[in-house]
Amino acid sequence: MAQTDALNAHSHVAHHFVDAEQQFDSAKMGMWVFLVTEILFFGGLFVAYIVYRAWNPELFTLAATQLDTVMGGINTLVLIGSSLTMALAIRFAQKDDITNSIRMLALTILAAVIFMVIKYFEYTHKFHIGIFPGENYTFTGIDHPKAHIFFSIYYMMTGLHGIHVVIGIGLIGWLILKARQGAYGSHYYTPIEITGLYWHLVDIIWIFLFPLLYLID
Amino acid sequence: MSGHHIIDLKYLIGTALALLVLTILTVAVYFIHIPEPFNIVVAIGIAVFKATLVAAFFMGLYWDKKINTIALLLSMVFFVLMVGITLLDTNFREKPTDIYIRPSSPPPVSPS
Repeated sequence: MAQTDALNAHSHVAHHFVDAEQQFDSAKMGMWVFLVTEILFFGGLFVAYIVYRAWNPELFTLAATQLDTVMGGINTLVLIGSSLTMALAIRFAQKDDITNSIRMLALTILAAVIFMVIKYFEYTHKFHIGIFPGENYTFTGIDHPKAHIFFSIYYMMTGLHGIHVVIGIGLIGWLILKARQGAYGSHYYTPIEITGLYWHLVDIIWIFLFPLLYLID
Repeated sequence: MSGHHIIDLKYLIGTALALLVLTILTVAVYFIHIPEPFNIVVAIGIAVFKATLVAAFFMGLYWDKKINTIALLLSMVFFVLMVGITLLDTNFREKPTDIYIRPSSPPPVSPS
């Protein structure tokens, strides 16, 4: 390889890194540290869930009947599919097949949009019958004085998760734009890799939310 | 181990299929109504297994530097601490806190 080629291949390496390898590993580890903060961020809401379920077990059984298991289940499968396409996008980028990598990223966005559309139908149905969080709760179909607490927790957990999905759509859209400009290839695909890590974490959070909120018997 | 490992297609497809089967299993155990508290144990057990599959194969921790796995496991340790220490308070209160009673609902009637 000519020296200029070698220079070009490493033009993305910042001066404080020894080489592209070290920069890649640092970016990845930095992303994992961020994911740790994300887990503890959602962790606070899981603590609220656990405390209130321990206090009002019968409420959670009653209130969960208002959630649509079919819609929640479809959303689980949609997110698993999007995790697969995200992993495939990274694999194609590593093999210098940017066309297919972009295709997989676009499929990931499509799945994320389907997820949000289903979420929209779930939320609007609840708003329609008066299931709002906190003081605005007017639904009378659940015979429990603290029924609104379950839905405050439900809206906080699924809402925060939904915000993460929307941010993910933005990030993956940005990846597609950069990929179209030829920014990525086997020599450099760090943004796709670490956005993938983020996206898989969003999937993992939903893997826990689905049985904890929708499948209480 | 290098973080640049290209994950074999069979692992990616296999993981996705396993997650699909486990999701169906999660819904199935909901409908067969396992008695308390094993329903929660089974549901969380399946979810933890699914999360482990995603972390190991989709996120590539299986081939990655061990420091990233350590970071993930540490977050779990601190989460368990957060839950455990909170429950030491909330589960041993004489009387649960009533700060979130809905304003429109009638105040609880005292037995006297």
